[in-house]
Amino acid sequence: MKREIYIRLTASVVLILLMVACSQKTEREDMEFSNTPAGNFLSLWTIMDERYCFFDLKKEQLGVDWDEVQERYAASISNEMSSKSLFEVLCSMIGELRDGHVNLTSPYDYGRNWSWKTDYPSNYSADLREKYLGKDYVIAGDGYFYRILDDNIGYLVVESFGSFISSNRINVMFGNMLLCNGLIIDIRDNGGGDLRAAEFLASHFTEKSLPVSYSCYKTGPGHNDFSKLYTNILTPAKEDMRWIKPVVLLTNRGCFSSANDFAFTMKALENVTLMGDTTGGGGGLPMSSELPNGWVVRFSSAPTYDSEMNDVEFGVAPDIRLDMDDDDIKAGKDTYIERARKFINDKLVNP
Amino acid sequence: MKIIQKILTMVSSRCSDELSGLSAALLLMLLPVSALAQSGVWYLPEHNETVRVISVAAGNAFARDTYLSASRYDGWAIGLEGDSWTGYRPDRLFSYGRSLSSVFFSPMTNRLDGGSTLEAGISDYLAFLWPAIRNNRQDLLIGPSAMFKANVLYNRQNSNNPVNGAGYLAGGLSVDYSLRFSLLRYDMAMQATFYAPLAGLGFAPDYDQPYWYMYNYGDYGKALHFITPFNNPAFLQQVAFVLPCRGTRFRVGYSFDYIGNRLGGHSRNIFNGMFTIGCALRFQNKEWNQ
Repeated sequence: MKREIYIRLTASVVLILLMVACSQKTEREDMEFSNTPAGNFLSLWTIMDERYCFFDLKKEQLGVDWDEVQERYAASISNEMSSKSLFEVLCSMIGELRDGHVNLTSPYDYGRNWSWKTDYPSNYSADLREKYLGKDYVIAGDGYFYRILDDNIGYLVVESFGSFISSNRINVMFGNMLLCNGLIIDIRDNGGGDLRAAEFLASHFTEKSLPVSYSCYKTGPGHNDFSKLYTNILTPAKEDMRWIKPVVLLTNRGCFSSANDFAFTMKALENVTLMGDTTGGGGGLPMSSELPNGWVVRFSSAPTYDSEMNDVEFGVAPDIRLDMDDDDIKAGKDTYIERARKFINDKLVNP
Repeated sequence: MKIIQKILTMVSSRCSDELSGLSAALLLMLLPVSALAQSGVWYLPEHNETVRVISVAAGNAFARDTYLSASRYDGWAIGLEGDSWTGYRPDRLFSYGRSLSSVFFSPMTNRLDGGSTLEAGISDYLAFLWPAIRNNRQDLLIGPSAMFKANVLYNRQNSNNPVNGAGYLAGGLSVDYSLRFSLLRYDMAMQATFYAPLAGLGFAPDYDQPYWYMYNYGDYGKALHFITPFNNPAFLQQVAFVLPCRGTRFRVGYSFDYIGNRLGGHSRNIFNGMFTIGCALRFQNKEWNQ
């Protein structure tokens, strides 16, 4: 009987100790916010404060002090305000970061700040692009179009990296352009998509493996809590045809996210020249979270740097800066494409 | 169907609230029970015998994972459970073995119904048990055990980080208690199980480490953590009654399974509380040594 009581007591003590361990709570775990305007505001501010990756850069370039932002916008929050008013205030608050990867999604609107694109000349005309593509262009994939221009230069338009171009279609395209003197890749107004699609296309323009960028991720809630840098190596698409002739990549402010990645990746290659305007940026891999009221917040989480460790959040500068010429537009010419053709033709004469 | 789901969710949620502090097993162990003599409804397997219970489960689930979202989600859950006891040689210290495997699935929504998360999980638990008490009316088995558990949460609202996993492979302590009694002239048995991992290996991303980084750079090391009850409080508890009915033994129970890890800087609280119903079958094993 004594043995039974002893065993029962020992088992009970062990169980109680385990239960106590299970009920331990940390400060972080307790940090839940109420579904009130104030709770949602604080939730959004905190999610950004702990997880957004560009605070130092935004402070340096735009003068954004996130603590000051909280104080300023907290004054606009009251528990009597409507849901739509709250949405406007929250969008304005995150808009201070001027980051295309920072968005707030509610049932009635998609909060964004696209000043990285709208504050600059577009340097792009869809009508002119259509004119250069003509009617008999080849559709090589979802968002991939090409044709061979009159002066024997290939012209590839990549509207989006939302999907991959297949190996087979790349081989057919390069086969069709075998005798071309060069290739113009037009990614103007390409808003991004899948990073791997951009990397896959870029891997057809190099003969050797080389480091093209570095990236890291947040390892804690501090503004400077980052992991080690990971090197992104671009390896040649060994199974497919590869393009080693001159390439001109046309960029404008509408190139964002994966298109931005494509730009700095291509810039690291010897046979590629970037022409046009600085890209729109978007150098942070985004993640999402949710406010107590169900609105979804997206934010840049993992920063990327180019091969020379330059920050690419604010865009990639071209090798040759260019603006669309009004006279050219009136004459039905695209300044970018014409300059690119001249550049490639000049290279033929003076390699 | 919706009414049944609602009732299951409500009742199960209430049970888990009540049971989350101290398990029924613990309460029953502390109470001076007045049970009757051994009945034939439930007894431990003899040497080379296996008792197997296959059950279906339904209840509710709750999840909060700050890697995916700061919100809480809950909803109904369904699952399947296979539970077996095996009798080893009586002269061995751990003369019983127990394994409990389950799979479960739950679609959850947040309180505002504005978002949704899907949970799928698998757990496998194996214990070697020493009969601390074994007599006509009750059995108390204690021993070391190992558990593998993996939960996957899929947040349908997230874009680049829609999925997160939580899981562990750990060794721990297991307590099994059985009490045989009669109620209204019917012989019955009550079983209670408690398991808690004490040390092992847990999986969770290193704060905001994207899964793409793990895949692309092969850097899984940062996502593996040494776990203790303090950074990975988890337990499994189960209370069941074995009821004979026309020559078959049914087992009706409630199991409560919890992970509350705080690994990699984010916190996760995931529980599944489910009612189970199954039937118990007794098998004679082959003599392995002959």
